Amino acid sequence: MAISVLIVDDHPSFRASARMLLECEGFEVVGEAEDGISALEAVVRLAPDVVLLDVQLPDINGFEVASRLTDNGASPAIVLTSSRDVEDLGFLAGRDGVRGFIPKSELSGPALEALL
Amino acid sequence: MRSLRGALWALAGAGLAMGLAVLALIVTNDAIEVPGAWATGALAVGWGFIGVGLYAWGRRPDNRVGILMTATGFAWLLAASGFSDLPLVFTLGQVFGALFFAVVMHLLLAFPSGRLQSVGERRLVAAAYLLTTVGVFPLWLFADPSELDCADCPENVLLIDSNESLVTTLGTILNVVAVGLVGVVLVVLLRRWRRATPAQRRFLVPVYSAGVAVLLLLIVMVALQAGGLNHDALDVVWVAAMLPFGLVPYVFLFTLARARMIQSGAVGELMARLGETPRRGELRDALARALGDPALELVYWLPDDERFVDARGFPVTLPDSGAGRAVTRVERDGVCVAAIMHDGLLLEQYPGYVDAIGAAASLALENERLDAELCAKVEELRSSRQRMLSIGLEERRRLERDLHDGAQQRLVSMALNMRLARSRLRDQPDSAETLLDVAGDELEAALGELRELARGIHPAVLSDRGLDTALETLARRAPLPVELQGVPSDRLPEAVELAAYYVVAEALTNVAKYAAASRATVNVERTNGRVVVEVADDGVGGADPEDGTGLRGLADRLAVIEGRLDIDSKPGRGTKITARIPCA
Repeated sequence: MAISVLIVDDHPSFRASARMLLECEGFEVVGEAEDGISALEAVVRLAPDVVLLDVQLPDINGFEVASRLTDNGASPAIVLTSSRDVEDLGFLAGRDGVRGFIPKSELSGPALEALL
Repeated sequence: MRSLRGALWALAGAGLAMGLAVLALIVTNDAIEVPGAWATGALAVGWGFIGVGLYAWGRRPDNRVGILMTATGFAWLLAASGFSDLPLVFTLGQVFGALFFAVVMHLLLAFPSGRLQSVGERRLVAAAYLLTTVGVFPLWLFADPSELDCADCPENVLLIDSNESLVTTLGTILNVVAVGLVGVVLVVLLRRWRRATPAQRRFLVPVYSAGVAVLLLLIVMVALQAGGLNHDALDVVWVAAMLPFGLVPYVFLFTLARARMIQSGAVGELMARLGETPRRGELRDALARALGDPALELVYWLPDDERFVDARGFPVTLPDSGAGRAVTRVERDGVCVAAIMHDGLLLEQYPGYVDAIGAAASLALENERLDAELCAKVEELRSSRQRMLSIGLEERRRLERDLHDGAQQRLVSMALNMRLARSRLRDQPDSAETLLDVAGDELEAALGELRELARGIHPAVLSDRGLDTALETLARRAPLPVELQGVPSDRLPEAVELAAYYVVAEALTNVAKYAAASRATVNVERTNGRVVVEVADDGVGGADPEDGTGLRGLADRLAVIEGRLDIDSKPGRGTKITARIPCA
């Protein structure tokens, strides 16, 4: 069975590209969210295996979303993504139940699988 | 002036003659037990008031205190003619014997300006004059002195019919009314005293205390008379009441002399003090001491900003003259330098004195004005630097956000599309081609956004081609017709060109956003060592420079290079933004 993914990002162009890319590489994209609050709600509703979570969101940032997901006892694998430099944020992976970090331009199926 | 002087001398002569007449009347009256004492008292008080009154009148014809004091002296001598044993003079003196109380009330209420301050006060004084003339007169139609405990008195020439009970009744009524009037006057004076500043009180105290003592003793006397005290005891109270009253002119003269002495001494002392260079704050203290007003404040005129500031350069609002404070401007070579905010009474008390002190201190004030101007400039620079700093930070934050949300996102999704296209290149070449097309569009858009951003950071066309071309591109990009009326084609200093460019860019952005205008004009002129940039539109007007960061930021940018921004934007009349930038 394909791994289910929720894409959380406020840029529609990135969500579209990421959905196309991940679906081509055998993932099932079960939903998209454009901010932190709707992401929390979508996780409860869709129970995805993986949440691909942008760090910079218009309401609450990705770290806060990850922390609340962990507190809620939900157990999706959380993978942070950002267009910022991996050196700026990569070291934060592992906190708040975050599995890992993928720079946006390096997103691919294998890169995602490697963190699961 | 000459005719006034003549009139004053004539009055002085009349006063002298009237005094001598009173002296003769007292000395020739055998019924008076100690004529010497009474004569001395009568003349000391009468001549004192007349002399000092005429002196004050001559010195300050516009202040009626002198007139009122002179009138008090004559009224007093008139009353003293009641000492006569000639029936006609005696009767005259008795009938007008109380008039001087009314004049004294008038004097007290009008002190120190010589003018009554309200309709109520005018009515009060009118009532006093009526009471002491028309009110008293009927009494003397029925009063027979020999029946009224004064066997030695000459006869009353006005007597129609001796009626002791009627006289007693009328007398009681008059006394009650008089005491009532005196009470009201005391209340008015008390209120005025309460409102007075310490400096004012120092000036009021000699005259007020003597006047109030007289009025209080008058009340006591009326009460004792009603209590049936005998003639000799009444004489004692009378003398006691008149002692402070008699001192009034001398106290007033002393106040005037002291003021003169203080003034000339203070100006000299001030000049000596200012000979050394005063340290900050010392000038204010020296002026406060010279004018005897510890609350004195100095403000300095900034001609460029057209406003007053304090010594530290902060803007100051001048007080309303109604609050007991007055403002005296100090000029130097016909140009306003500073203003002294001081006790308003000083203008009454020592006319011309504040001006004299200001003139004596004008050089020192000009020096302090320069200091204050510098402080104001420093303060303006400090706050504009602060605003520039926060504008800079805000611009960086906006730049980062624009880069992140714009070009960066487009490049990210382009990278993903390229990767996807590569993986499909062999199996699904059509799909790969579509993906590459999309990537190409993203790249195009990203380049456009980067160009826009770069122009925001620094307009390259300005450094490459100069202000005229740069403004032309701004005009062409604006969403409404913009007419460039005149732009100097020669190159200006880079900072000036940049400032002018941003004025036009920001102004046109505002026109497009808020003005609802149909057209705009841009004019740049180089005149008299400065560049004047004007952007005008025919829109709704009502732009507020304090509202929003755009215009404020522009003003700050200009302040850094000593330029200034003026906005004329009345509602419904369009907006005209004028920037003046120094340019040697």
